[in-house]
Amino acid sequence: MTEARRNRLLRPETLTAIGLIVAATGFLIPTFDLRPISALLPAAMLIGLIVLSALLLVSDQRKAAAGEVAKPVSTAPGRVIGAFALIVGYAVATDLLGFYPSTIVIIPLVSAIFGYRSPLGLVIATAIVVGSIWLIFDFGMSQDFPAGRLWQD
Amino acid sequence: MLKLIQKGALAGAMILAAGAALAEYPEKPIEVVVGYSAGGGTDVMARTAAPFIEKYLGGGASLVVKNVPGASGQIGVTEVAGAKPDGYTIGTFNLPGMMARTIDREAGYDRDSFTYLANVVNDPNVIVTSKDSGLDTMEKLIAAAKADPGAITVGMSSLGGDDHFALIKLEGLTETEFTIVPFKGSAPARTALMGGHVAMGILNISEVASFQDELNLLGVATEERSDFAPDLPTFREQGIDLINGSMRGFVAPAGLPEDVVAKLDGAFEQMAGDPEFLKAMADTANPVEVVTGDDFKQLTSDLYDLANKVWQETPWN
Amino acid sequence: MYSDLLNALPEVFGLANFLAVIIGVIAGIVVGAMPGLSATMAISVLVPFTFGLEPLVALGLMAGIYNGAMYGGAIPAVLLRIPGTPAAVATTFDGYPMAQRGEGGFALQVAVVSSSIGGIASAFALMLLAPPLSKVTLLFGPAEVFWVAVFGLASIIFLLGGSPVKGLISACFGVFVSVIGSDPIFGSDRFTFNQLELLDGISIVILLVGLYALPPVIDLLETPLKTGVSEDKLGTEPIWKALPRMKGFWKTWIRGSLIGIWIGILPGAGGSMAAFMSYNEARRASKHPERWGEGEPEGVAAAETANNADTASALIPALTLGIPGTAVAAVMLGGLLVHGLQPGPMLFRDNPDVVFGFMWQFLFGAILLVLLGGSLATNSFARLLNLPRPLLGSIIIVLMLIGVYSIHGRMFDVYLMLGFGAVGWVMDKLKFPLPPVVLGLILGAFAEENLRLALRIGRGDWGVLFRNTTSLVLVALTIAVIVGPGLKKRILDARKARTAD
Repeated sequence: MTEARRNRLLRPETLTAIGLIVAATGFLIPTFDLRPISALLPAAMLIGLIVLSALLLVSDQRKAAAGEVAKPVSTAPGRVIGAFALIVGYAVATDLLGFYPSTIVIIPLVSAIFGYRSPLGLVIATAIVVGSIWLIFDFGMSQDFPAGRLWQD
Repeated sequence: MLKLIQKGALAGAMILAAGAALAEYPEKPIEVVVGYSAGGGTDVMARTAAPFIEKYLGGGASLVVKNVPGASGQIGVTEVAGAKPDGYTIGTFNLPGMMARTIDREAGYDRDSFTYLANVVNDPNVIVTSKDSGLDTMEKLIAAAKADPGAITVGMSSLGGDDHFALIKLEGLTETEFTIVPFKGSAPARTALMGGHVAMGILNISEVASFQDELNLLGVATEERSDFAPDLPTFREQGIDLINGSMRGFVAPAGLPEDVVAKLDGAFEQMAGDPEFLKAMADTANPVEVVTGDDFKQLTSDLYDLANKVWQETPWN
Repeated sequence: MYSDLLNALPEVFGLANFLAVIIGVIAGIVVGAMPGLSATMAISVLVPFTFGLEPLVALGLMAGIYNGAMYGGAIPAVLLRIPGTPAAVATTFDGYPMAQRGEGGFALQVAVVSSSIGGIASAFALMLLAPPLSKVTLLFGPAEVFWVAVFGLASIIFLLGGSPVKGLISACFGVFVSVIGSDPIFGSDRFTFNQLELLDGISIVILLVGLYALPPVIDLLETPLKTGVSEDKLGTEPIWKALPRMKGFWKTWIRGSLIGIWIGILPGAGGSMAAFMSYNEARRASKHPERWGEGEPEGVAAAETANNADTASALIPALTLGIPGTAVAAVMLGGLLVHGLQPGPMLFRDNPDVVFGFMWQFLFGAILLVLLGGSLATNSFARLLNLPRPLLGSIIIVLMLIGVYSIHGRMFDVYLMLGFGAVGWVMDKLKFPLPPVVLGLILGAFAEENLRLALRIGRGDWGVLFRNTTSLVLVALTIAVIVGPGLKKRILDARKARTAD
């Protein structure tokens, strides 16, 4: 019984609805510091989000009560989290270590982890991508990419 | 004797060499931080001025413009305030906006954060009315504003900018009251004016110079008439002591070495007299009025005091 | 004025000037086709660089890029369901299902032909009708523009997808994101949490890349076995063979062109709104609206015509009044300023060669599009998407970072984009529709700003919103859009009931 109830609360849509209600309520607090006319549109949207999320929550729980099994959001959650973590890691590395070193590492790394492992292909692809970025943006347009905060100070 | 002369010559040469070593600034590219995107008024000023500053700094000096847009120039100017005061980072500076932002929000700098190099552009305010309004003289405008306080809508580019301060000065001088309609930038304000959606506008002369047939120009807030519209009388000529405008110039972080300041100021002063520079600025609709060093600092201080006074009386946000 | 137009022509055919347009179109297609890179970003990177170029070379590049990118955005929209530019969102609706069905090649050909037609129509509007059309812009004050925005927002009801509750949540989310930044009137902070980077609001490109590009990338990595797009699914055939299949689209092309031109001359809304509106109108006029969203080629035609038809027309208010119709036009205005070309009525008198030359370049850019885009897209780009999926995914990740970083040159935006990416992935998996978010972001704050300006002009009297004919017409149109479909259905049902009796 408790197991079933916990499952009902862990349905993806239910979780999303609860998350939305919490987030929207949180954002509602700063609206009290605004002038009424400034607060009007954001507050309306946040209240709208809360009401709509409540509706979503109710309808999802009805479905659960009717015995419908919620589809899992991902068939391979590990891969999804891993992919997202790699992307975030790449952004942080660009910020701290610089764009070019991070990019040279990330292209073969992501490809290799997710199943493309031909060494020659990886070297060629990385060289072409990084080379053309450098040629077009850095050399051609004198665009600066992050040089890495660690080296700067 | 000969040895003495030799020694003297040697010493002299050494002093010269030392002097040369000191005067070698700039020995690497100078970064000019512009707080707006490429192609904006401030950016065009910086890019137009850069080659002339290079020329007068001499010795193969090179200026590199770096755009750091965002938050009406705040992000860029904060970066300048925090940069190393070695003369290799300078930035553009807008008045009264940059000072007004230290009053209406928590800014990462104040008026003592900078070495004031030179103000280059002074774009005076003008008062314009829409053709539909029928208010084609200052007298008619003020009479209408007095007849029904707040009935006249005034389009301008933002609150807490030069045009806002001009209006507040005008209201004080003429004991009138207007309704402010702050658009996002002066071009939309000017368009609303041309469409007759607002009755009056406070803009800058460079923004209306090519729209003289589409709008009624009532006066310019300078001491003497502007070259951009020589037929347009000043407010002083019309009995209203209104002088106000938007200014753009260059600053560096506070604590710049004396010799670097002297060198940069010298370059700006020479640039101010260069007819080629003046023509380039006129082509990009930038009225030039160069003010360097301490005068520029004083100007900033005065504008800060004005903004502060306005803020105390009528806070705008 | 028309003689000035002809006088400017020889200059346009100068080698460097013409080459600039060709290079611009190709570069634009490439930039548009790269998920993460947008036309706004490409042109803003280009502007400082053009300081040292001849005006017509610089402007030719920009005109070419603008035209090319508006079509280029359709390529990943069709093949990967990642709109390459904000304006290509509506192209995904039918383009991607077509590609799934093995008609990706045809979808791209429809896109390139439609884009070109929209671009040509728009260029003609710019060349021949700029002064009268700028008078139309003047009719639209804050009150009227507010109604235009409401009209656009009303079309969200067609984009809600299967579940209205989820669709409305998406819309509320989009509008809420649009209010982040400084208050449009007072300049005070709203939800910026003392981050200066948020003060100007959240750029549409950041949201778009996060919501639309990140989830598919994760999908590419999640199921790594298949390759990107297999060649046999593309259904490539020469463009002259594809043309006869498009002959029924002429109404959609005309409608899309007119809508695009109209949205272009109204400042602020831009290509995405034009594409959405054209798509909706074309669907409403269609004999079989139920096929829309399932891979109806006419849907691609409607969206792509309109998003190219607002390119040149967005320059009408930009050149004559100094107010750009789209974000890209705003950046281009900067490019004009760099060359000492001040917008305004004097511009046409003082620099006719450059201004009219620039207009010609728009026209040639649009024509070149069909020549360069047709073969380029189907042959090279589709093949690029043939790369092994993990490799394709990792390259897109790098492009996303570059594209978002280059807008303002700061990592803050990249982190923001990743945040939206996480939101987008959840939305994608739980079938929350994404288009309402995009439209909400574009139009939410835009509507608010104009409403509040109008109220200021009316000194707090809401009656100011209904005071003139233009406003009232727009109100009527909005009501028709909202009530119309229901009414039509009821009438049809009643008729059916009668015949059944």
